Amino acid sequence: MTVSKALNVFDSFDRFVMGKKVREDTWDYVTIPTNAMNMKEKWSISFDDKIIPEDDDLSDRLFHAGLEMLAITGFYNTNLGRVLSVTEDEILEGIKGAPKKIRLGKGNERVSCKSRRGNSSRKPIIQGGPTGAPVSEDIFSPMMQSYARESVVDVLVSGVLNTVGGHPATTNTPWEIKATLAEIRYVREACSMVGRPGMGI
Amino acid sequence: MTNAGHRITDAHECSQLNEMKIDMTGLNMLSGWTTNGDTIMIEQMPIFGGYTGGLEETAISDVATTLGSFALFSGNFHLDGPIHIRWNVTTSKETLQVAAHAAAAVDANTDLLLANQYYPAAGPCTEMCLLETANQAITDTGSGRELLSGSAAAKGVVKDKTTGMEARVMGEAARTAAGMKVSDLNETIGQILALYEKGFVSPPEGKTFQECYNVRTVKPTQEYLEVYDKALGVLRDCGLPIKH
Repeated sequence: MTVSKALNVFDSFDRFVMGKKVREDTWDYVTIPTNAMNMKEKWSISFDDKIIPEDDDLSDRLFHAGLEMLAITGFYNTNLGRVLSVTEDEILEGIKGAPKKIRLGKGNERVSCKSRRGNSSRKPIIQGGPTGAPVSEDIFSPMMQSYARESVVDVLVSGVLNTVGGHPATTNTPWEIKATLAEIRYVREACSMVGRPGMGI
Repeated sequence: MTNAGHRITDAHECSQLNEMKIDMTGLNMLSGWTTNGDTIMIEQMPIFGGYTGGLEETAISDVATTLGSFALFSGNFHLDGPIHIRWNVTTSKETLQVAAHAAAAVDANTDLLLANQYYPAAGPCTEMCLLETANQAITDTGSGRELLSGSAAAKGVVKDKTTGMEARVMGEAARTAAGMKVSDLNETIGQILALYEKGFVSPPEGKTFQECYNVRTVKPTQEYLEVYDKALGVLRDCGLPIKH
């Protein structure tokens, strides 16, 4: 059925508020495994030994199984304890509006991340960095420089500062916010130090 | 200062929760970024062996959460990362299969931008770490992903055990694999996997950044360069014509 518009994050919040109340353990231990198993059976999803699938029909069935999984299951909000409902048409409308290309970084270091389609001869964008692993304060900038100076690296992903000004960057405390802002400064400094100040981070 | 702070063209990252869940912190961050027109990357790492159970169920859930990032939460690209409940890595046979099948399914039916992240078992300056990282890069590239994010060596949990050399092998393996026949890549992936998967029981711890690099000049040690060269030789023997 034609939908009025794609959902955005505000629409999704409203859907959560209006959604059905469900216990989180019921969601985790009943809803998710039951629906995933049902979709596996309905769409005859079975993998062989290949890591990358070579069967196009299997890929199509898996896409439809995932699409239907989202439509019949919805999404759970852990704070509200409620489930958002969404239709397949709304999901497809949302996908239509998603970008096929984004630009990361600025100036000479700006790169374009574009849809590749299969194993295109165009390499993926390389986002180098510790990917959330813990890093000491005193080596944060040099470590990020070690990624930024690699010519194959297009953009950076940060690590997590272990301390800030010697204080542990404990989750859900003001030190966590200070550490996050310090991470951005260190990463920017690393980009500048290797002569790539515009790199996307 | 032109390049200070977080810009619109930097990736603003929000995480979903396992499986098919999100919290108000995530929604509130997303609302600000959406209003501001920022670039939004939404992350989710499906757990193989967790709530969804087996391979296929995890892949189905992976596709669902990927679509949710775009259709429900205004994401611009989705950062995947199927993780093995026993080994806590993204480089196992099962997690590579889940990632590749989910990516290929979404790639064949949409133009969505797909990324994957890297959590190898071994630490830096070890051949196993480089082989794990390269193998996932081959898998991600061959299954159509647009962005590779890594690498969090030593499972991403040990302080200072990540370096730029792992990103180098990730990028060079991806550059080499791009455009190759998928059937050939599958052969190569299987051969590389056989060389390291037994190591998950007791992976080499590797060295810290301070031991792998001269921290002042930010140059890798001769030891790491030699380990790197040896790993490239192994990758070539397994069928990946990687140059440097």
